[in-house]
Amino acid sequence: MYQYSDKDKQIVKNRTREFLSQVKRRIDGNLTEEEFKPLRLMNGLYLQLHAYMLRVAIPYGELSHIQLNKLAEISEKYDKGYGHFTTRQNIQFNWPKLEDVPKILNELADVEMHAIQTSGNCIRNISCDHLAGINNEEVEDPRPWCEIIRKWSTFHPEFSYLPRKFKIAVIASEKDRAAMKVHDIGLKLIKKRNETGFEVYVGGGQGRSPFIAKKINNFVKKRDLLNYLEAILSIYNEMGRRDNIYKARIKILINELGEEKLKSLIESKFKKFADKNLLLEEDEIKKIKNYFKLPINNPIKSSIPVKKNKEYNIWLNQNVIKHKLAGYSIIMVSLKHYNQPPGDATAEQMKKLSIIAKQYSHGEIRVTHEQNLVLPHIKNSDLFSVWNKLSALKLATPNIGLITDTICCPGMDYCALATARSIPISQKISQHFKDQSIQDKIGNIKIKISGCINACGHHHVGNIGILGLDRNGEESYQISLGGSADEKTSIGKIVGPSFSEKELIKAIQTIIETFEKNKKNNEDFLSVFNRVGIDPFKKDLYDKSNP
Amino acid sequence: MTKVILNKNKVLKNEYFFVDNLTNLTKSNSENLIVTLSQWLDNKNTLSKKKNIGIKLNSDESLSLIKEEISFFKIIQFNFLTFKDGRPFSEAKKLRVELQYTGEVRASGYILPDQYIFLLRCGFNSVEIESEKKKFWLECLKMDTGLYYQP
Repeated sequence: MYQYSDKDKQIVKNRTREFLSQVKRRIDGNLTEEEFKPLRLMNGLYLQLHAYMLRVAIPYGELSHIQLNKLAEISEKYDKGYGHFTTRQNIQFNWPKLEDVPKILNELADVEMHAIQTSGNCIRNISCDHLAGINNEEVEDPRPWCEIIRKWSTFHPEFSYLPRKFKIAVIASEKDRAAMKVHDIGLKLIKKRNETGFEVYVGGGQGRSPFIAKKINNFVKKRDLLNYLEAILSIYNEMGRRDNIYKARIKILINELGEEKLKSLIESKFKKFADKNLLLEEDEIKKIKNYFKLPINNPIKSSIPVKKNKEYNIWLNQNVIKHKLAGYSIIMVSLKHYNQPPGDATAEQMKKLSIIAKQYSHGEIRVTHEQNLVLPHIKNSDLFSVWNKLSALKLATPNIGLITDTICCPGMDYCALATARSIPISQKISQHFKDQSIQDKIGNIKIKISGCINACGHHHVGNIGILGLDRNGEESYQISLGGSADEKTSIGKIVGPSFSEKELIKAIQTIIETFEKNKKNNEDFLSVFNRVGIDPFKKDLYDKSNP
Repeated sequence: MTKVILNKNKVLKNEYFFVDNLTNLTKSNSENLIVTLSQWLDNKNTLSKKKNIGIKLNSDESLSLIKEEISFFKIIQFNFLTFKDGRPFSEAKKLRVELQYTGEVRASGYILPDQYIFLLRCGFNSVEIESEKKKFWLECLKMDTGLYYQP
């Protein structure tokens, strides 16, 4: 795992001091709320429906047990005893008081954490594959590249007042577990004639106008990565629209300018004005890579305990993945228990999970963009013990990848932008499809729920996407089908008129029945949808003559 | 409100004049003049005969319109219409790196002391601010430790 250098520590400390002075100026009346807003946002502090919300950065989703324990403590001390893990692999606290925020930031700094650039019109937390470094498919571990980009993008003097927020993801295999193509920039590590470099995708995004990123470069050399990113950001900062907040992302720029034009502007800037000080030399890259060496080196002989316990076996089958080193496993820790809002973890769960991670997973925990957690390095022989402990904490719900493993934004229960509630919808889905055999029969499916058009719940890329709207004061839910955020990224198609909260579960049930009717062999939902199209679903949902 | 020029930690008087209407020029202010983009474009012939001319670009006006004439100006002033408009950060960098401009680059308009370090790091030399706010600017400057992640 990455560990802070003295410089990192000093920079985070300075930021806390600077924020304190800004809070003071705000309170003294020397900063208006309008002026304070972008400054506090750049420090992760939002003003929500009921209170402030603080979003803490978890760089590329990686946490130490010490950090997780600190998050638990903060949630107890300054919040209501829980935190919410987000689709950008961060965590947010929903109830901190403004005067406590500098104290929280100080406590975070003690464990090498911060809230820098988790909001605002700047480069946000870098997303990454939650199985980085521990799967067999990747070209190399993408995490060091996330760290290199994290550093470069932190307090970048030129790119802190961009037209709009800017999100970057890095993956390193054909499999995309980071929704790379719905980021402003998606980077994919590839190997070409024994040299590793990056495919560069630009202009993906969700929100009110969803776009899949377009590939603008087939191979950027490693040493040139930061110069190439600077060229993209510089063109965007100069040309991105500032007249309309909904048209300010780079996805709009690439569509208005055209892919070729934007590409040629970037290429020309990159070729003519690359800064030699930004070139990444091998020894520098190696230094960062050293931080990400796995805590385990060699395969071991360790077998998975065989037990007759049915629940344990279902969990093994659903939530446990092979590690790249023989003898080890990866545990997906579900934050989608049927009674808990998706992505929420209580202080007790976080504290005890931190102890489990320390004892069994070399102190490491990861956050997935699907709002679950990962214990990355578990010895096979420990699986039963760990299952027992997770089970007692309600962290072993065997639903990873199944219909109750929904992505869900905070919605109108917390968010000032929301037009409808989303958490209760996800809970209704969980209750309705709770039965394990029903979930197994449906198989892999991704339901994603957003409480407004901003799409924080990724509804555009859900196999079933649900968007909460306000129709004359009534909550109403629009369904789209066929979206996907993996390597075959697709934007879902709206199936038809929206449903009231009451009708919604029945509609989802109908969609599942249509899927099952059309299913051949072991096809999953998305394969069926791609084969039969939207019409059979439309017909079953809306055709009144249909019995 | 009195304006002052801040060059790093030095408080200076503005040595340049600005006139709303160029027909009002007198002997005393016909040089050391900062003109707007439209004043420049409309009066290029007369102005290019004068000494010490600067140009003031609003943050939504593109540098590319004066790209060929850049070396003529002693000072290029980016006037922020709002502090949220980050274009001048890239424009200043472009001036320094791509256009090799060596004159003074100044920020004015709606800017915050919290942006001071970033401005300086992008190639600005000075800022035009309200005199009574200078203590906040100097405080922000003092908070700079020189520790950056970028070159």
